[in-house]
This record gives sequence, structure tokens and C-alpha cells, in this order.
Amino acid sequence: MSNSLALVIALPLLAAFLLQPLAQQLGVGREQRSVAIQLYAQLTIAVTLWITLMLGNGVEQQPLSVMMGGFSAPMGINLYLDRLSLLLLVATQLALLLLWPADATPRIHALMLLLSASSMGLALSGDLFNLYVFYELLAVATFGLVAANSSRSAPLISFRYLLISGLGSVLALSGIALIYSHTGSLNLADISATLQHGDAELPLAAFILILLGIGVKAELFAVNGWVPEVYAIISPRLSALLAGVVSKLAVVVIVRVLLMLFPHPEAAQVLLVLGILGVISGELAAWRAQDLRRMLAYSSIGQLGMIFIAFSLSLEFGMLMGLLLSLHHMVVKPGLFMLTAGKSKRWHMALFVLFALSLVGVPPLPGFWVKLSLLTGLVEAGGALNQLALIVFLGATVIEASYLFRVLQNTLPNPPAVDEGHLTVGWNGLVGVLLGGVLVVTTLSVDPVLEQLKQISSQAGDRNLLISSVVTPSAEQQMVVERDK
Amino acid sequence: MSRSSRSMEWTPLLFSGGLAFFLFALFAVIPFGDTAMKVGTMIHQQGGELGAANLVTAVVLGYRGLDTLGELAILFAAATSAGLVLSNTRQRTRSIKNKGLGELFESAISLLMPLLLLVGVYIVLHGHLTPGGGFQGGVVIAVALFLPTLARGEMVINHHLIQWIEGGAGALFILIGVAALIQGAAFLQPLMAAGEVGRFLSAGTLPVLYLLVGLKVGAELAALLGHLVEDDEPGVQQ
Amino acid sequence: MLAAILYVGAVSLLVIGLAGMLLSSHLFRMLLGLVIAEAGANLLLVLAGYRWESAAPIWESGAYPQLMVDPVPQAMVLTAIVIGVGIQALAIALLVRIRQQTGSLQRDIVREQLEQDLDLELGVKLPSSMHAPSGEGPLLSGTRGAGNEQ
Repeated sequence: MSNSLALVIALPLLAAFLLQPLAQQLGVGREQRSVAIQLYAQLTIAVTLWITLMLGNGVEQQPLSVMMGGFSAPMGINLYLDRLSLLLLVATQLALLLLWPADATPRIHALMLLLSASSMGLALSGDLFNLYVFYELLAVATFGLVAANSSRSAPLISFRYLLISGLGSVLALSGIALIYSHTGSLNLADISATLQHGDAELPLAAFILILLGIGVKAELFAVNGWVPEVYAIISPRLSALLAGVVSKLAVVVIVRVLLMLFPHPEAAQVLLVLGILGVISGELAAWRAQDLRRMLAYSSIGQLGMIFIAFSLSLEFGMLMGLLLSLHHMVVKPGLFMLTAGKSKRWHMALFVLFALSLVGVPPLPGFWVKLSLLTGLVEAGGALNQLALIVFLGATVIEASYLFRVLQNTLPNPPAVDEGHLTVGWNGLVGVLLGGVLVVTTLSVDPVLEQLKQISSQAGDRNLLISSVVTPSAEQQMVVERDK
Repeated sequence: MSRSSRSMEWTPLLFSGGLAFFLFALFAVIPFGDTAMKVGTMIHQQGGELGAANLVTAVVLGYRGLDTLGELAILFAAATSAGLVLSNTRQRTRSIKNKGLGELFESAISLLMPLLLLVGVYIVLHGHLTPGGGFQGGVVIAVALFLPTLARGEMVINHHLIQWIEGGAGALFILIGVAALIQGAAFLQPLMAAGEVGRFLSAGTLPVLYLLVGLKVGAELAALLGHLVEDDEPGVQQ
Repeated sequence: MLAAILYVGAVSLLVIGLAGMLLSSHLFRMLLGLVIAEAGANLLLVLAGYRWESAAPIWESGAYPQLMVDPVPQAMVLTAIVIGVGIQALAIALLVRIRQQTGSLQRDIVREQLEQDLDLELGVKLPSSMHAPSGEGPLLSGTRGAGNEQ
């Protein structure tokens, strides 16, 4: 039963492989064909959502570790479903269902299916090299989706993205080689068990290399040069998907690796410094930006920097803070991107104000509570770097407020004319309304949501739970024998 | 190149130098030839439970089958994306009018092509016994399919057929994995008896999987090369 | 000694490739840099599984060799190489397209073109943006146009 978790990854892949041959067989007109293919793809995602929800039932008590190919833990690849990956998985699937591109060619649908499979693989995989493979799949699918854009500069932007991403993967691959020669294993739980004893230099170096590699998708400082260009040309739906969900998946992978392989303070400090630099560079660039899309892209870099700062705090608290910030950003940023689509109307403005207020952190919206608790966390943590982070964080909030309200200031005096399309609410607008609704509901029920997230983050932060639920006792004994040899 | 961009070049140089130092320092610490071989030793001790004489094949298709599936998906994504990127130019004339390589090469290649195909298929089918397998053989097959295009200077690649091969082979790979799931085993668990190690008919479903990998890789690479050739128009100026 | 040569070779390839990517002024050479760097990373991975005086992990005369190299990194390298091939092919397709559009692969020329195109598409006024105070920037209504599926 639990073995069918693999279908969450396999089904979208299967659907992608079969999509083009099947599409050729459809004898209907171009428009109907496009609708049929979209239904086929979304149905696939819906099935994976159903499987996830079925299997996610018992995860509260005991995380699920599913072995591929029926081999025991360090030899085979495992998928790991705990409450955090369940949350991410469901969020990814819902986002895919809502943001699926309409009126696209079969090739784009196929690439979207590959993107779906790889994001689910990233959320689930418990194996270092397997994570790398899914990460590359995600990257290649994204290059294709970016290059497919009608914009004139699309091929060049895609190529630059490819080069930056390729540089990152080369570094990540060397990091994996380091880890492998040090531990002889690729399973995260197994590596974690091995690294609990022994020196820390090699793993720290490997962590930095992997961090720079996976950080490309997480918009980490120094490897995020692609962000403004890519978000400037891709459709709002794809921007919402990449900035909202995919970047968070990459962040969670980084945090998993950090936590499992190397829970030492130095690694957290690397994360903290890169996070601070990301906040400074992102927010300043957003402030200087001349158009809304690139402004949102740069501000996304800044907010991901804040997420990295949050995750770098002490294990349990940092996990919770990072999770809160990520989820908040996951709702607000796609909402903002969706509002850049099409003609702006009056109610677009209202929603924009709602999202902007929450992003800046005005009570009683969720953004306020998140930022407040991060501030208290930074104050309590002490230390020079944390205090620097505190100052940067406050400054960034001011800058954020400044540029977000500049948008309103420029738009409000001459609000968009009421045209005949006033009553039609497009799909993009609907998604925006939906996300706004999520924000409002969260505002009204802060306490229960926070309680749930606390449980999720404490489960995700428990290394021993991971090790005991992935590596079977017999294999662990075998490990001890190997080590003693 | 302008002067200002030349003066900026010290940053990448510094970065590369720093990285070189960092990496040299790191890899000097690793005990070469005596690294921790935990999983490798475990696989060795299992003594060919999968029945593959080539243990690398056992790892590629058995222990790390999901990686291989992901890798096939990456090739597929790359071929699809390349098609997407280059298909926008289709409205221009598609006839490829380079001269070809001449009579001599043409006859040589028609002689060579079946041999290459044979070698490719041989490498694919013996992937569980000897070094080689679906990827290596698939590349040879792709080259064999591509040579006539090169020699005659005209398209002989049938994209419809290739789409069916690449889609079908990938789908079958997954379906074999799902078949194990339906039988109550894990996804991608090798089926059928392992047989006697070293025989041609051994290692259960692994040779079948490698055949599918070979077909898919061959089709994928042929499609990629085809896309590039179709687009390579002599008329475009630098 | 051998170990030193191999590691130095692999790391050098990696660094030469990365430096090539960062320093070249031609897009195709940047791609070649990536290819070289990938070769270096793959070599590092192979070296991670090398064992002294070991044979290939292949059944011979009734048994696997007593001392054999680690099969896992070899499988990983196989995967990594194929991934690299796919990415390189896609990159070349992109380069073909870029050259068709801009008629050049020189980094500086292409980048200039890119910035102009982007500003044009996003409705940023080009010449005045240099002099205009940045505070005049973003307008919600000025952003339609880009993106193909809405």
C-alpha cells in the first residue's frame, strides 16, 4: 500500500512520455485538442494529490519511508514522507492545478508534467544523488518553459539561466563526490547517522558546495543572477509557480541537507551570511527597479534571504520561523504575480494592497506575526551576526514598504478606467482572490494554524526520528560492523 | 571587448583562484584509493542478488533505478525543449541543401550503418554482462541512425516514429516498475528469476529495462541531432 | 603520487572550466567551459570510488573479484554524463536560436541587445531611465504585454 507513494512521481512522468504520441492521435481541432491535453495533465496531478492524501493519513505519528526496488535503506533509494513533505507536496500539487498554463502546445504540457514530477521528487526523495537528479530535471524543464516564451530575448535568458544553473550543478556534484568519499553512502538518514561522530571539515565544505548548487533555484545570494530576467518574461502563472513553490522546495532541500548532514553552527552561519547579503542586494535592487515584474522578482530574492536568515537560527525555533516565512511568501508572492496579469481593475488594487500590507508586516495580517516572532528570535539569539541580521531585516522592511507603496502611489491618483470587461473575472484574478482568501482566513485563525506548524516543524527537525524511520535496525547494525572494520 | 569589461575580469579570476585553492585543500584530505565504500561493500556482499554479472548495471537499473528513470526524463525534457526552441523557425524553408559528403562517403556509410546498428544493439543487450549497456549502446544506435543524414545532406529522420519510440520506451520502463507494484512488491523492483549469473538470459527484467533505455536514448539523441540539423541553414549569416 | 596527479587533474579541469565560463566573451566558449567543468566533476566522482589494486566490478570465472572498485560512483557518473549531454544539447539549440536572432554570440553585444529588448517589453522608457529619478518607477498598469499565456 505505502509502496504506491512512488506513483506520485511515476504517474506524471508516464503522462509526459505518452503525451505527444497520444496528442498526435487526437483527430479533433487545435483548440479542443489543447483543452483535452490540459484536462489529461491536470487529471494526472489530481490523481497524485489523491494518492498523497490517502497515504498522508498516518504520517502524524510515524513518518513513512518507502524503499524503491524493495532494497534495504542505504543500498536503495528511499522516499520520505513526513508532515513537512506532506505539506509541501500538497501545496505543490494544488499550485500546479491552479496555475497550469492554459492554451499551450503539447510540448509545454509535457514539460509542465516533467516539472511536476521533479518537484514532487524533490519534496519526497531521501537520497542525495536522487535529489540531484530531480533537481536537474526541474532545471531542464524550466529552461524549456522559459525558452518557449514568445519574448524575443527568451532564448538568451534561458541560456544564461542554463549556464548559472550548470555552474551550480557542477559544484553540487563535487560536493556529492566529497560526501560519498567521506561516508560511502548517499542516503540522507544514513549519512546523518555516520556524520554524528567524526570530524566536521569535509562535511562543511561539501555542504557549502551543495548549498551553492541547490541555491540557484532557491534564489540564494551569488547564484541568483537569473531571477529578474526570467521572471520578467515568463507568464505570471509560471512566475507564481517558480517564485512561490519551486523556490521553497529548493529551500527545504537545503534545510534538510543542512539539518541531516551537518547540524553544526558554522553551516548555519554560512546560511545566515548569504541570507543577509541576499536581503540587502534583493531589496535595494527592488527599490531601484523600473517595472513591476522585475521589482517583484528582486523583492523575492530579498524575501528568500529572510527565509535563509530564519532557518539559520537555532534548530527548533529556526525551523518553525523558516517554515512560517516560507508559507507566508508562498501565498503572498504568487498572489502579487497573478495580479500583474492582464488589465488591472479596481479590485486588483484592493487585493494588491492586502498582499502588500501582509508582505510588509502590518497587523493583524499574518505577515506581521511572522516578522514579529522572527524579530524576537533574532534579539534572543544575540551575537554580532544576528544583530546585523536584525538591523538588515528592519531596514529591508522599510525599503519593502517604500517600493510597494510607490506602486500604489503611482497608480491610485489615476485608477484604471472601468471598462466593459469589469464583471468578467479571469482565472488569474480568481487565483488571486483565492490566495487573498487564504490570507484572510489565516488572519482570523492564527493560533490553530501556528499550533499545527509547530508540530510539523518539530517533527521535521527530529534527526533521530528520521534515522530510525529510514535505516532499519538490522542495517544499522551492519553499519556499525562496517565502521569497525 | 571594451576596456571597462576587461578591467572587471579580476573578480572571476579571484573567484577561480579561490575555488582552486579550496578544492585542492579539500581533496588533499581524502584518502585516495581507500575511501569509505559502505554501500559498495554491501552490494558486493549481496553477491549478485540481481543476477547481473556487471555490478554497475545492477546499481544503475536495480539499486538506483529511480535515478535512471529521472535521467531518462531529463533527456526527454532536453529533447522536448530543444524541439520547442527550434520549432519556431519552421516557417522558413525546411529543405536542407548542403551538398552531402560525396559518393565515396555515401557508399561507405551505407555499408557502415548496419554494422553500427548491430554493434549498438549488441552493447545494449549485453549490458548486464559486460561493461556497456543502454546508454552506451543507445548512443551508438543514434549515431548509426544519424550517419545517412550527414552523408546525403538530407533529412531521413522520421520524427513521428521517434516520438513513438521515445514515449513508448519510457512508458514501458515505468509500466514494468508499476507491474511490480501491482504484484505487491516495491516500485521498480526487478521481476522474474535472477537466473545463473553470466548467462545471456539472466538478471530478470534488467536486460529488458536496458533495452528500453537503449531505445529511448537512441531515439532521444537522434531527435536532438535531427532538430539541430533541420535548423542548420547555410543561409543565416554571422 | 598517482593520487596527487589524478586529483590535481580533476580539480584543475573543474577550475579551468569554471574560469572559462566566467572569463570568456563568447557564448559558445562559455558553454565549452561548462562541458570541461562537468568532465572535472565527473572525474572527481569516479575517483571517489577508486580502490587500490582492485578489479572492475564484473563477474569473472565464477565470482565477483575479491577486491573491486566501488560500482556506485560509476553508476552515478553514468547518470551524470547523460544528464550533461542532455543539457549541452539543449544549450546548443538555444545558441543556434540566439545566433539567428541577434546575428552574434559575443557576450557584450548579446547582453546589450537583451537589456534593450527587456526594457522595451516591460515598458521602461529607455533613454530617460538613465536620468529620471528611480522613484518614478513601477506602474501596475504598465506591465501587460510580456508573457504568452494569460
